[in-house]
Amino acid sequence: MSATKYTIDQPAETTRTGAPLRAFVRHWMLQLAPWLTLCAFVALWHLVSLGYPAFILPSPLSVVEKLVEKLLDGTLVVHTAVTLSEAIPGLILGAVFGFITGYPIAKSRVIDRLLSPFIVASQGIPFIAIAPLLLIWFGNGAGSKIFLCAIVVFFPITINVIVGIRGISPLLRDLFRTMNATRWQTFRKLELPAALPLILAGLRVGGTLSMIGALAAEFLGTDKGLGFIINQGRGLYDTPLVLAGIVTAVVVALCIYGSIRTIERVVEKNV
Amino acid sequence: MLKKSLFLFAALLLTACAQAPAVAPTTAATKVRLPMGYVANVQYAPYYIAVDRGYFAAEGIEIEFDYKFETDGVKLVGAGELPFAVVSGEQVVLARSQGLPVKYIAQWYKKFPIAIISLEKSGIKTPQDLKGKKVGLPGLFGATYVGWEAFLKANNLKDGDMQAQEIGFTQVAALQTGKVDAVVGYTNNEPIVLAQNGFPVNVFAVSDAVDMVANGLLANEKVLKDNPKLARGMISALLKGVADTIKDPDAAMKISAKYVEGLKADDPIQKAVLVKTIEAMQGGKPGESTAAAWGNTQDALLAMGWVKTKMDVNTFFTNEFLP
Repeated sequence: MSATKYTIDQPAETTRTGAPLRAFVRHWMLQLAPWLTLCAFVALWHLVSLGYPAFILPSPLSVVEKLVEKLLDGTLVVHTAVTLSEAIPGLILGAVFGFITGYPIAKSRVIDRLLSPFIVASQGIPFIAIAPLLLIWFGNGAGSKIFLCAIVVFFPITINVIVGIRGISPLLRDLFRTMNATRWQTFRKLELPAALPLILAGLRVGGTLSMIGALAAEFLGTDKGLGFIINQGRGLYDTPLVLAGIVTAVVVALCIYGSIRTIERVVEKNV
Repeated sequence: MLKKSLFLFAALLLTACAQAPAVAPTTAATKVRLPMGYVANVQYAPYYIAVDRGYFAAEGIEIEFDYKFETDGVKLVGAGELPFAVVSGEQVVLARSQGLPVKYIAQWYKKFPIAIISLEKSGIKTPQDLKGKKVGLPGLFGATYVGWEAFLKANNLKDGDMQAQEIGFTQVAALQTGKVDAVVGYTNNEPIVLAQNGFPVNVFAVSDAVDMVANGLLANEKVLKDNPKLARGMISALLKGVADTIKDPDAAMKISAKYVEGLKADDPIQKAVLVKTIEAMQGGKPGESTAAAWGNTQDALLAMGWVKTKMDVNTFFTNEFLP
């Protein structure tokens, strides 16, 4: 009696290379998807703009031309630098005060009861209404604009710090207590690493909000910054300039967001 | 046969009479939303009088006052969304340089209302005395900035000769607290408020240095072409309102109080504002603007770089709809 021969069916040659090919295409489709969406949006914008005069809806090309013109003559670079010089310090200031406020609120019920209602109520005040008051109280310089950015950034950072610290597992806290960890050790080795993802997420949101704060302050009265450029375009009926300013502000906000996201990834890998 | 025809004719006649209305139907008034370019204010007395005394209604126009920003009003007129707006002359030049199909059809303020104001004690007696001084501007936009630049040019001064700074709309406070040495404002506003607060002032009116086109009525070109009667009606009613305001400021105050929330008919500061406004409304043929003034306005904008190409001034305005 001969032994039963067992064979393993080999997949056909075409199906063996099909899966990697599909994965390759899928990977690049996902990478290109946002750019394809952008192209579709620009194409649609161009088509719609054909039916309107430039002062109502300029074409994407006229906006690009204005962007290039203002980049080459240095206008955009100078004014973008001014807006960043308000938004970044405002972000840092708002983040620091957000942390200093959020941490005690997270740790102490008494401080929570003392401060939280007022912090929440303050969010009901439209910052665009207090911006003119800040200009009167603190003058028209960078200081009032940085302060406004900090106010705008403060609340989301504070909330994320509170949620991040309170979200730490009680079991981990118990563990540190049983190991006789000091407050500083608990903060440095448990609370900060555990809350950091949420804090950084708050910082990402704060980054874009600080740009809004800087622009809002610039709309009210300044001779520098992207807000001034947008205002000037509005006053001169130069809608391509208005949109060029807006596009620049969006790109800058995305860069801030992307930078913080990169920091997040580095921190997540090393914590 | 004849009786039948007569009967038929009478029946037809009666039917026709029954269908014909006893009185011709009145056409509904044309509703016009009018952007004023500023908040409700006693300066708009001519418009309030023209509404209150039925001058607009007599022209078949029903006005709705809209206190949106001047530039928004210009854009809406340019886009054909609104037929008219109240604007300052330089806005027309700026708008036309960007292709907006708008035209200025009647001048309301006959003098450009911008002025450089300083406290009497500052010793700024001539425009040259402004050299080296801090000058506060509401912003680098609008009639105040254009007026300031035109004033500098007319007096052979340059931007760098002064320390110009943006102070928002805080001119009165900025002068009173000594934050700046001079401010740019309106002849019928800041000087009056400062004087009432006990701060006598020196005033350099831009209109003394250069004749530029001030506030008036803007129209969409299509409206002028398709409905000239509406344009004529707007101007006629407005100019009647101007004449009545000039003739009787007290009545103008009383009527304005109906349209300006919080305005009291006997408010001395607002009365002074109205009197100064009346001064600015007088001079030359009512409603008429001149090519020379338009030329000066355009030159100021060209010098500032806000307009790149010189345009034919006759495209900015028309006096053909004036009564």
